Amino acid sequence: MSQYKAMNAFQALLSGHAVSRRAAARALAAITALAALTACGGDKPEAAPAMSEFRVALLTPGPISDQAWNGGAYDGLMAIRDSLGAKVSHIQTKTPAEFEENFRQYGAQGYDMVVGHGFEFQDAALRVAPAYPNTVFVCTSGNATAPNLAGMNFAFEEASYQAGMIAGALTKSGIIGAIGGTELPPVRASFVAFERGAKFTNPNVTVLISYLGTWDDVNAGKEQALAQIARGADIVFQNADAAGLGILAAAREKNVLAFGANSNQNKIAPDHILGSIVIDWPRALLQVAREVQSGEFKSTVYQFGLRANVVKLVLNPKLASRIPANLKARVDSVGDAIREGRFHEMDDVLRPADKLPDTTRP
Amino acid sequence: MMVPLEDFLAAAVRTATPLAFAALGECVTERSGVINIGLEGSIICGALAATIVAGGVGVTGGFAAGAAAGLIVTLIFALFTVYLRADQIITGTAITLLSLGFTGLVYKAFYGATGVGLTIPTIGAVDIPLLSNIPLLGRALFSQPVVTYALYAIVPIMTWWFWRTHTGLALRAVGESPDAALAAGVRPRLVQLLAVLFGGAFAGIAGATLVLAQSGTFVENMSAGKGFIAIAIVVLGRWTPLGVTGAALLFGGASALQYLFQSLGWSNVPYQLFLALPYVLTLVVLARASGRSAAPAALARRKLTLG
Repeated sequence: MSQYKAMNAFQALLSGHAVSRRAAARALAAITALAALTACGGDKPEAAPAMSEFRVALLTPGPISDQAWNGGAYDGLMAIRDSLGAKVSHIQTKTPAEFEENFRQYGAQGYDMVVGHGFEFQDAALRVAPAYPNTVFVCTSGNATAPNLAGMNFAFEEASYQAGMIAGALTKSGIIGAIGGTELPPVRASFVAFERGAKFTNPNVTVLISYLGTWDDVNAGKEQALAQIARGADIVFQNADAAGLGILAAAREKNVLAFGANSNQNKIAPDHILGSIVIDWPRALLQVAREVQSGEFKSTVYQFGLRANVVKLVLNPKLASRIPANLKARVDSVGDAIREGRFHEMDDVLRPADKLPDTTRP
Repeated sequence: MMVPLEDFLAAAVRTATPLAFAALGECVTERSGVINIGLEGSIICGALAATIVAGGVGVTGGFAAGAAAGLIVTLIFALFTVYLRADQIITGTAITLLSLGFTGLVYKAFYGATGVGLTIPTIGAVDIPLLSNIPLLGRALFSQPVVTYALYAIVPIMTWWFWRTHTGLALRAVGESPDAALAAGVRPRLVQLLAVLFGGAFAGIAGATLVLAQSGTFVENMSAGKGFIAIAIVVLGRWTPLGVTGAALLFGGASALQYLFQSLGWSNVPYQLFLALPYVLTLVVLARASGRSAAPAALARRKLTLG
């Protein structure tokens, strides 16, 4: 136990995130509470139940300063802290080998809920979950379940299809690009949706799809985008987390249009980003955390898409005039079809668990 | 289908520039008998220092800050390896890990826990009159940021320094035989210290180049292994400035080829094959080039002299 904490502190020191301060604050709080108890001879019974406080941890695969996937989840963690009064902790994992170890750390410390942020955490969560039955493990983009393991699926492809419709209609060169970090199933599904959406409004469009093999290398992101732009792409869609900032920089430099992903990135390049495919992390993570806190946790794959109002295409108001009214109407009507369950363009790509209707909100 | 060859060549030179800076610096370091695995740490610290300073003082100050940060990081490395004679590989690894964490900490202290998606002014490409109009190669070689042009001067100067000056000879002597150098009146520790610091400053410039001449933003871990690639490039370039620059260009070219291939839209080829291309190509060249070893004889030796 103590070596886990030491590891935790060491890792926090190395990766330098706020956890160390929180861990220190928690230790300080515990000492203060203990001192208060001994000083007052135990006449303050409400100071004791530190065991029952609700604790939530988040593991991200990359830095939370990416303005996208990781930063969004951190916002969700902060929402859990502020709305549910939870004690929260965050670790940025360095390598996949650390996924399992970090899960075990939090399990051993008796955390109530541990979120592994991304499909890549699923295998580790499946291995660890049986050892810590009192901790709920949640895997974003996961599709597996266990008695204390749930997946959260984000129907990113729904809004990607809408973005593709806009890109297909607006491209002048007839070539658009999509660049991902690595080919994770949800990223692939999102790009397929983007391509099909584009072909829906422009059957002759060419869609270039590239992967960086990294989520951090912002220079590789920029070079890959420049290569696509050199090939004639005039709209690029990025889904590469921190490296995606390089893709947006390329769009700015070469004056082409772009779509952002995972958080609202419209302000990063306000003159070039048509819109962002946003996941409302606070809303989604709060919902699951509430269920865990109130003991209503269900071992299931939570579905969040357009209908749950968690995934959405947020258009950049500054470039709204670029999108003709009739195109906007078509995009909106596809959105309605998705919300009403009448949209089946992506059924052949999605994993079975991802095809279920959205989880209804309490 | 149009294949954008000019853009490909320009991308090759762009990608090679920071690698060449880091590798040329490491080449000097290794010539003195020290292998600095902590290069990655100097690159990321250089990138962050450049980011912070360029925002306030401007791009030139940013490059200076990058070099200074890279140098300071290697000062720690030098203290442990040159003076305390600690294991160079272990020290270098520790420096890299420390720097990656430390830069994340500082970045968050400056820009908040979730960052801001920084947009930093970059130095644009400067066209050299006439030369940049040469078909095919003109834009690649002569329409680049000033840092690339600096390399065109540094490589011949460094070659001349290595083989035609007393200090160059002293540097190489320490890397080959510290005892002989000592006997000839050279101070091996001082030479190693200066060589290590030189390499650190160059790695810092490489980091500054990543931000100020290319991406225009800072991202945690954005060095993405470039320090380790630079070390491989030194081996590939057989410890000579020209060879190292050529090797950097080869790696830059292979990376650019990877970007080009992916952008051609051959969606039925697994993208991982393209991503592996630079490394496979490097391996092939390394295998073909491996004849007589050109490594400094005293490289990574812990006990400096017999005395």
